[in-house]
Amino acid sequence: MRTFAKFCLLFAISLLFFSCFSKNPDEIRIVIWHQKPPGEREVLESAVKKYVEKHPGVRVIVLYKETEELRSAYIISAIAGKGPDIVYGPSDQIGPFEILQIVKPLEEVFDSSFINQFDPRGLLWYKGHLYQIGDQIGNHLFLLYNTDLVQEPPKTMSELIQIGKKLTKDLDGDGKIDQYGLVWNYTEPFFFIPFLTGFGGWVMDSLGNPTLDSEATVKALKFVQDLRDKYKIIPKECDYNTADALFKEGRAGMLINGPWSIGGYKKAGVNFKIARIPKVDETGLWPAPMVAIKGYSINVNVDEKKLPYVIDLLKYLLSPEVQLEYVRQLGMIPTHKKALENDLVKKDPLIQASISQMEVGKPMPVVPELRAIWDAMRPYYQAVLGGTMQPEVASKKMQELAIKKIEEMNE
Amino acid sequence: MFNYKVKSFLVIALAYLFLILFTIIAIYPILNVVSISLRPADRLLSTSLRIIPENASLNSYIQLFTKTPFLRWLANSTFVSTVVMLTGVTLASTAGYALSRFRFFGKKAVMIGILITQMFPATMLLLPLYIMLIKLHLLNSYLGIIIVYTSTALPFCVWQMKGYYDTIPVSLEEAARIDGCNQFQAFYKVVFPLALPALVITALFSFMSAWAEYVVAAQILQEPELYTLAIGLKQFESSMATEWGLYAAGSLIVSIPAVLLFLFLSRYLISGLTLGSVKG
Amino acid sequence: MSRRNLFIIAFLLPSLLIMFGVIVYPFIYNFILSFSNMSLRHFRDWRIIGLRQYIKVFSENTFYVVFLKTIIWTFVNVTFHVVIGVFLALLLNNKSLKFKPIFRTLLILPWAIPQVITALTWRSMFNYEYGAINIFIAKYLNMSPVEWLLRPFEAFTACIITNVWLGFPFMMVVALGGLQSIPQELYEAADIDGASAWQKFKNITLPFLRPVMAPAITLGIIWTFNNLNIVWLVSNGGEPSDQTHILVSYVYKAAFNLYRYGYAAALSVVIFFILLVIGLYFLKKTRAVESVY
Repeated sequence: MRTFAKFCLLFAISLLFFSCFSKNPDEIRIVIWHQKPPGEREVLESAVKKYVEKHPGVRVIVLYKETEELRSAYIISAIAGKGPDIVYGPSDQIGPFEILQIVKPLEEVFDSSFINQFDPRGLLWYKGHLYQIGDQIGNHLFLLYNTDLVQEPPKTMSELIQIGKKLTKDLDGDGKIDQYGLVWNYTEPFFFIPFLTGFGGWVMDSLGNPTLDSEATVKALKFVQDLRDKYKIIPKECDYNTADALFKEGRAGMLINGPWSIGGYKKAGVNFKIARIPKVDETGLWPAPMVAIKGYSINVNVDEKKLPYVIDLLKYLLSPEVQLEYVRQLGMIPTHKKALENDLVKKDPLIQASISQMEVGKPMPVVPELRAIWDAMRPYYQAVLGGTMQPEVASKKMQELAIKKIEEMNE
Repeated sequence: MFNYKVKSFLVIALAYLFLILFTIIAIYPILNVVSISLRPADRLLSTSLRIIPENASLNSYIQLFTKTPFLRWLANSTFVSTVVMLTGVTLASTAGYALSRFRFFGKKAVMIGILITQMFPATMLLLPLYIMLIKLHLLNSYLGIIIVYTSTALPFCVWQMKGYYDTIPVSLEEAARIDGCNQFQAFYKVVFPLALPALVITALFSFMSAWAEYVVAAQILQEPELYTLAIGLKQFESSMATEWGLYAAGSLIVSIPAVLLFLFLSRYLISGLTLGSVKG
Repeated sequence: MSRRNLFIIAFLLPSLLIMFGVIVYPFIYNFILSFSNMSLRHFRDWRIIGLRQYIKVFSENTFYVVFLKTIIWTFVNVTFHVVIGVFLALLLNNKSLKFKPIFRTLLILPWAIPQVITALTWRSMFNYEYGAINIFIAKYLNMSPVEWLLRPFEAFTACIITNVWLGFPFMMVVALGGLQSIPQELYEAADIDGASAWQKFKNITLPFLRPVMAPAITLGIIWTFNNLNIVWLVSNGGEPSDQTHILVSYVYKAAFNLYRYGYAAALSVVIFFILLVIGLYFLKKTRAVESVY
């Protein structure tokens, strides 16, 4: 009896306590959901802190969610009429958001003089509306090389193979290879795109139909396979974390990764530089990774009363001062024209190299069909690497599966 | 006689051997997690198998306690899990008793129904659960989360308590009633103490189903002050830039209260209050 | 109403309300969705389209393969969980063994540590070149290393190994609890009668363990069948080539990657009915609803 009574009391008290989570009715409460990795997060949070100090009466809550989870959680909440006021993420999340009509068209909310302050590559226009304003152009893959092992970055694939062969060796004589010329997350289709484009291929045509069944696909698949089995410059099994660990340990000459990872390598003390992924000899083309922006959108559920505050906060978060803070700390490519002119950007070799790669990149499609294409590419791509399927067969099967999945998605 | 001594010595030796073997298997991956937490620069993998890595540092732990709201998450989780534990024990011990001692119309249906609630794949329940909680104004509150966790823990606990009560003969309660107790007192004074091992399991299980749960908590809690440990740990994770050092250190610290609880409760698990000593 | 009935209601109703209340609305919602065409293009304006989603579920070959895999997954996992758990509980229950608290605590660690980090640690242990498992195999067992995560059968085995590691402590604890309910005199009497260890186990230990282990095993089957986490984390979402799937991870991909909510709802209902049949069958077999005396 006593324990039971004690429990009831505790329960009742906690009920009271939490139902009294009263919110100050005069306070404006703005919620931002984002998927910024650590590093970028701190910049966002200190920027928000500065804003709140200058604007008493406004409370800003910043919540982090991992990219995939952010997308599904936002969809669920926004459809139910709730959700954050501002959502930040990569451009491809706009595809589903647009179909579900859960983000506001921003050209109706900001005037054109504001919008013109941004480099057009930093704005996401889709189906005639501006749905996202980016604070960074990026998300693209480039070549990183450890300057202790590689002095001059390769300009062509054959140079890459040469350097790779020299570096891939068994350092301590135990029969196992301890150092690799090149490492990267080669099992994930996103990381395959540079090779696909290097041979002249692409994932879809202008109407959104997949174009995976092409000679370029076959050649690119063969090439990646050769890197491992013929030239032997990449590990037998290498996912994202393996590649990351090897590069951080200094056991990899070259790495293919993106701007989000730079902070981690700096922290690990690796001496590295960035370069474009080398040209494919056969075609003479620069591999074109997918380039996307990461930016802010406004929830369609934000009411008229709150909107001006949300707009004001966004203008601040997108301002050159805040963008330059990202540049200073993390080497991101900003979107505001004034920030792009700044010395911090112009004089930083890592950023300039990143911009150079971006300039030969291709914009990442925003349409939701892209997701179906990834899902279609992945199993057959991995089958080729696993040695159970020929590239020609895989290329056809990818195309078939992509068409099927797109159909299923669009029923 | 001699044979017996050799035989029992061999049995004991084998027992130790197996226990040590399984213990090593149980803790090796965990030692790996320790390595990750001590490794500088957030590396999940390493080419060396050393448990204590080169340049090992306690940096992750220090950062965990000073630069993150870890302690707040710890307090929140402790509160939520303890309430779930107390609720679970109270409700399961009573429900299990009713199911063990009484026959009534629909009893079998109830018992099977309880099991059936577990059969639906949880991922699909999230969307409707979210909508339901919004309508009931239980979103962003501990009450909502406690109710959901209790509902996940109860089925096993109720069945488990019932099964244990079934091994306690009714004659004991009958004796108590002859002595003047009513049904509730017979339950509380006689049967409840004898079911201690099962209560321990119920308490432990209820606690654990709330302690490190992520998905439901992430859906319901929208305010950083309310965050539990599982949500907090997830913050260190980012699909391609996870702070593995913090994450591993956090995971290890998160396990400690669970282990301590088990240590505390396990003495009641192996209590001397077994049936044999009371029957007479 | 009689005192007896009041008592039953007071003791039973709160639990039932909570258990059924939380599940009922989501279940009905899902059931309705399974007859609909809810997807990205028909999110707010979905309509009932009858059994079409179910037809789609059953007409895909992968469904049957994944179904079979799920059965194997469940059966192998639960068998190992129970055998190892009971075995260790018996060892730990031995009166003449020392250091029992230490062993007990260490053996429960796999349950205590958050699943995500241990699953990912196991994944790294299965790495072909740098993982501890292949290094152990090559050095101490003189066998050639296994391509754990690159081949479908091996990847599936890797998931099972990880899940067995995660699941045996729970069964061990339940068995330990169950062993406490056995009166010592029964063993003593059997010893006097000259019974062998196996006979003692079969005729004394097992009958007492059964009512206590039965809920754990039944629920263990249900949970393992629906355990998305481990398969997803160790195989990185179904790799290689979407071959490492059980029914629930398959549903997850359909729902969350391609927004096919109607289809996923139908598949979930099918999973539910499969489990229902298995669960009821298992209950009948172990007569778990009855008591021991």
